[in-house]
Amino acid sequence: MISGTASVDELATGAPEIAAFGAESVRLGGVTGLSLVAELRRPAREAVLPPGLHPIVPPAMSLLAWDVSESPWGAFSTAFVRVVCRSGARARTFCVGAAASTDDAVAGLRSQLGFPAQRARVALRRHYDGVDLTVAAAGEPANGAATQHGAGPMLELSALDPDPLSVGDLQHVGSMNLAHTPLGLRLVQVETHHEPSRVERLAARIDAFDAAAWGQPLLDPYWVVSCSVSLEDVEIPAIRFVCDPALPAAEGTERVQ
Amino acid sequence: MKFGIFYELSVPRPFSRANEWLTYHNALEQCRVADELGFDHVWAVEHHFLEEYSHCPAPEVFLTAVAAQTQRIRVGHGAVVCVPEMNNPIRVAERAAALDIISNGRLELGTARSSTWTELGGFCADPDDTKKTWDEFCRVIPQMWTDDDFGWEGARFEMPARNVIPKPFQEPHPPMWVTVTTPGTELDAAERGLGCLGVSAAPFAEQERRTKEYYRRVANCDPVGSFVNDQVHTLNFLYCHEDYRQAAALGLPMVGAFSMSNAHLYFTREAYPTRAYQTLGNAGAALRSRGTPNGSAPADDPSVAKGLPEGVGIGDPDHLVRTIRKWEDVGVTGINFLLNAMEMIPQEQVLDSLRLFATEVIPQFQTPDERAERVQAPTTVPDISASDSTAPSTMPAGASR
Repeated sequence: MISGTASVDELATGAPEIAAFGAESVRLGGVTGLSLVAELRRPAREAVLPPGLHPIVPPAMSLLAWDVSESPWGAFSTAFVRVVCRSGARARTFCVGAAASTDDAVAGLRSQLGFPAQRARVALRRHYDGVDLTVAAAGEPANGAATQHGAGPMLELSALDPDPLSVGDLQHVGSMNLAHTPLGLRLVQVETHHEPSRVERLAARIDAFDAAAWGQPLLDPYWVVSCSVSLEDVEIPAIRFVCDPALPAAEGTERVQ
Repeated sequence: MKFGIFYELSVPRPFSRANEWLTYHNALEQCRVADELGFDHVWAVEHHFLEEYSHCPAPEVFLTAVAAQTQRIRVGHGAVVCVPEMNNPIRVAERAAALDIISNGRLELGTARSSTWTELGGFCADPDDTKKTWDEFCRVIPQMWTDDDFGWEGARFEMPARNVIPKPFQEPHPPMWVTVTTPGTELDAAERGLGCLGVSAAPFAEQERRTKEYYRRVANCDPVGSFVNDQVHTLNFLYCHEDYRQAAALGLPMVGAFSMSNAHLYFTREAYPTRAYQTLGNAGAALRSRGTPNGSAPADDPSVAKGLPEGVGIGDPDHLVRTIRKWEDVGVTGINFLLNAMEMIPQEQVLDSLRLFATEVIPQFQTPDERAERVQAPTTVPDISASDSTAPSTMPAGASR
């Protein structure tokens, strides 16, 4: 069994702070969700995960984007870059970077759920025959055009030819977010419950991915595995478990609710 | 009740040429001992790229060595992945027939479709298609074995008419099986008259439900082969020791490590949304949760290891006899055992476990005739004279099926 080898101290740089664990779930209504899985090159396998998590073979990235109509933080769009992993025997992802389109959403994602969110322009556009997603640093155009400084978007992808699936065909995997918590630096386990009304699978292509902008230069999503789009409501339950990032889940898990 | 041994050929980290060599050669020695002790089957899987969990991409090679080094144990080539990007069905039929000849008619052929993205993605196979290609493989392979002029125009495979040779030694052909991980696959097996080769240890109640439905359907099946193979085998672990506590001390960590390595596979359902894969595959799917009084821990608690499969074959002989009686009561006709994982149990102790099981447990499930049969001399090699090349004068056991 292999484990992550990343330095917890280095990963903790800029980690969000959760001052107190909330007791209420967060409901997101009218969500257009995009989920994309891409294989990563081997150097990223252990090197991007803390020792408390285990990589899978082949290493893979799970990209998640939501365009949210209703939430406690208002309407917003967000995207998460996550590395597929295992916490103990459980399927999980480790969130290495996140972007959200409003200050309220950034604050909520960071302080309530421990997502390492930064303010950015996130545009998830659904067409009759496909979907486009562009994420650009705040102040940069979200249409993929280069800025006057020469920087490109953080992420740009396009997906075509939607193929309807059953709503149960899409599996969702929770996130482990490294955050400073009342219990110390911990991997915060964030689950999501989805109520989709429509799910489609598409053929996708990543046109641009700035790994450094997402906080992890080793990420190189070179082989797209799958892409799906859903119309759904999402509930994020209150956090129940956190894990010591330096220990296996069997030894380092604490229950907080 | 039939007893078999089952190989994933899991290899410990750090990987080395020596570790892979040791795993293969320890397994071959176990097969020779199991043959002498009267075990019925040895199965070897086909997996690709599954680091640590299974370094067994060419089971037909391993099983050819087994066949050459043993006398009576049946060799289970299973399961062959019935996905054209991995195996052409003509090559499967040819290789299996050759192995049946080499083994003097001791081949069993298992079929499967792979459950991990690691494997399917590595071969650029479309997960949506694997159930369909599996179905087509199951139908064409027995025809290739029995028809001298076989051609096919199917949905996923076609070929102009040829005589696929050699023909298998067993007549009309070796028994065929389907590996069953996903609930419902046992029904696919039954409808096609194929044996049910469980590779995930379902709990007793679930196994009983599935087995009953399998027997109900197989009784009225439309077999894809020339006969119905209506056996139900399940997968288990084996570590047998006179002292239950010692058995548990050595055997349970092996079960846990194997299960953990299984949980770390990248299953297709997780990577690729499709209606063709509704559950996680293989042994991990069968592990029950534990940690609360009602046996179900919160599904999101990462600190709770998934529990042992019910009826696991770890313990002293009396415990194992009681456990296997329960499997027998739910309609299972055979159990295939994993003997080790990542070489955690020293080879001598694996062999001692096999010997103790064969001495103390297997006889409890045999009739006097079966006990006598197990100590018979090995079957003779067919005597084929130059003047009569049409048929062997002495047929090895199983060849006249």
